[in-house]
Amino acid sequence: MSAPDTGLLVALVGNPNTGKSTLFNALTGLRQRVGNYPGVTVARKSGTCDLGEGQKVELVDLPGLYSLSAASPDEQVVTDALAGNIAGDRRPDAVLLVVDATNLLRNLFLASQVAELGLPVVLVLNQADVAKEQGLRIDTDLLSRRLGGVPVVLTSAWKGEGVAEIRRALARALAEKTQLARVAWPAEIARALGDVAAAASAGTDRAVSAADAQRLLFDATPSTAERLGWSAAARDKVLRSARDRVRNAGYNPMAAEPLVHYAHLRALLDGVVAEGLGKAGRTAAVDRLLLHRVLGPVLFVGIMLGFFASVFWLAKFPMGWIQSGVDALKLFVAPPLEPYPMLQSLLADGIVGGVGAFLTFLPQILILFLFLGVLEDSGYMARAAFIMDRLFSWCGLNGKSFVPMLSGFACAIPSLLSTRTIEDPKARLATAFVVPFMSCSARFPVYALMCGAFIGPLYGAGWESVVMVAMHCVGLLFAVPTAFVLTRLVLKVKPQPFVLELPRYQLPKPRDVLWRMWQNAAEFVSKAGTVIFAITIVVWALSYFPRDAAVAERVRAASPTLSADALRARIQAAYVEQSYMGRFGKAVQPAFDPLGFDWKITVGVLASFPAREVIVSTLGVTYSVGEGAEADSQALRKAMQDARWPEGPRAGSPIFSLAAVLALMVFFALCSQCGPTVATLAQETGGWRWAALSFGYMTLLAWAVAALVYQVVSRLA
Amino acid sequence: MNLEAVVVGAVVGVAVGWLVRRWLAAARRRKEGGCAGGCGCATKLKK
Repeated sequence: MSAPDTGLLVALVGNPNTGKSTLFNALTGLRQRVGNYPGVTVARKSGTCDLGEGQKVELVDLPGLYSLSAASPDEQVVTDALAGNIAGDRRPDAVLLVVDATNLLRNLFLASQVAELGLPVVLVLNQADVAKEQGLRIDTDLLSRRLGGVPVVLTSAWKGEGVAEIRRALARALAEKTQLARVAWPAEIARALGDVAAAASAGTDRAVSAADAQRLLFDATPSTAERLGWSAAARDKVLRSARDRVRNAGYNPMAAEPLVHYAHLRALLDGVVAEGLGKAGRTAAVDRLLLHRVLGPVLFVGIMLGFFASVFWLAKFPMGWIQSGVDALKLFVAPPLEPYPMLQSLLADGIVGGVGAFLTFLPQILILFLFLGVLEDSGYMARAAFIMDRLFSWCGLNGKSFVPMLSGFACAIPSLLSTRTIEDPKARLATAFVVPFMSCSARFPVYALMCGAFIGPLYGAGWESVVMVAMHCVGLLFAVPTAFVLTRLVLKVKPQPFVLELPRYQLPKPRDVLWRMWQNAAEFVSKAGTVIFAITIVVWALSYFPRDAAVAERVRAASPTLSADALRARIQAAYVEQSYMGRFGKAVQPAFDPLGFDWKITVGVLASFPAREVIVSTLGVTYSVGEGAEADSQALRKAMQDARWPEGPRAGSPIFSLAAVLALMVFFALCSQCGPTVATLAQETGGWRWAALSFGYMTLLAWAVAALVYQVVSRLA
Repeated sequence: MNLEAVVVGAVVGVAVGWLVRRWLAAARRRKEGGCAGGCGCATKLKK
């Protein structure tokens, strides 16, 4: 493909979404040619650009990319095109580099990599209108000087502003061959790069450029080495030794490039961008408060308290409606089945009672995800990540551990899978070990049940939120020292840096937030209709059978003066006590006695191993069966509040005392559940050793801390 | 054996069978390197 007139080829390069294609259209008009790059399905779009005074060049629009170390096919096309490695294409004579004027630091990372190619460059700061709206003032003259004299042009491509200046700047760059200032590498890294370039040149019988040497040293993928024809056998030892040199200089070889480039760019941009009272200025002002070393964490806790208080307050009414619906359904299905008591109990106590108890929490889940969506889309979640990252760095976890840890608050299983992004196997293992400590959303209904039934009524709504936040922090409280011991003393993990970009604050889009809320609600309801439904039926069967008529006779004979209703309730309770579930619970209960758990709670704890939320439906079933099919949800809650120890040293005192309620929540916050998490941990750590260790450690820790809480609080209260 | 016991037995049997089948399917997915959790995510990652 030949370029018209001058025969010069100019490559249009930039990050995705910087308005590159709009600019290409503005510069080439309708004189465009579209084809494919050889061997890949990546479009090659080129056109003729008139630079004025009869000078024309061919402009080729390359796919958008963030870094030259990228590995996807279209990103590979860009690196090959810039190096002149594409069959039928030659090396460009100049680069028209488009960056987003509203985010110079991030966009100039690509520019500083392009600088290493040694090509004449024109820097186009596009979306100048948006930058102005955000209160950003950019000193283009100062930036040009700092960049080594390359032309810098402010444009707004979609408005057509600045296009003529680009044409003039491009003509100047081609004539003067102005190049971007290159980054100054620290001495040890420069030596490592020199070693790699020399060895690669010797190994391939061709001159290897500085840019290629950087790709060889810093990239995890072997694409550059393969392109150069440098064999794995020849390069492995050289690269290992060069990376050791980088490591000895205090840098992680995989992170050294962005760290050095960003340090260079920060110095370069100092005084270039002034923030006024626009959105960017406001973001910086708000961040000074929200990311403050002391105020930041305090405000974070405050925001979380308000968050949970709102969840409880707003969900109160719809939860009442669902409870009324469940009660009405129970009263609807129970009477016609009076002649079939077994079937009646299965439907009313088991299915409606158990699944209904679980579904009652739907409004809280909806509101929880609504608020989470708002926090995430507004840009605050990234700030929360920043605040928490300080804590993680202190306890020796890898910077990349943060994402799995944060997503662990939703579900541990995808979080464990996401630890695969951590290159260092030791850091990955340490992260996977502590991820199950994060309070996943399945624990939420357990806390909500206990707070709603006991903490709120006893101490007021404010304490519900305090306990809720505290329960979400308990796991973290133990995860941090566990990680500290594991990373510093057992595994001896080397610290690694982590770059986190903080987005600008913005109003969340209602559609996105509602969509995410809907997805989570659908998942919750689908769980109620599948796993919870099936487990509820099994739990019901175990707490209903065996049904020996002699049990009822014994109760009748022992309580001749009781009213019909009271007698019926006592018979039901006696049946549950002698059921398989009752017998099993009573056999295991002594192990949980120091935690203040009776046999019904013990059964709930054990039954919730497949999924934590099952304790809610299990308690719903055991108390519903105990109360009879007509019991409504208020009566169930009252039954739990009125439940008393029948015998022993605590005889007559409430089972669900403050101490027992707190111990139960702490146990759930720390114990190793659910089953799939343990299995996934085994899968991700390559065997059952670490999974068994995690299960044993977390279960023992949960037992010990819950026992301590019960013993201390019951004495204080 | 009366009809009521048969119906209840069938319901409980189906629930147990479904849970066992689900557990086996999850174990198979884990073996294939995918997400086997009850989290609803469709992650299918290969090691």
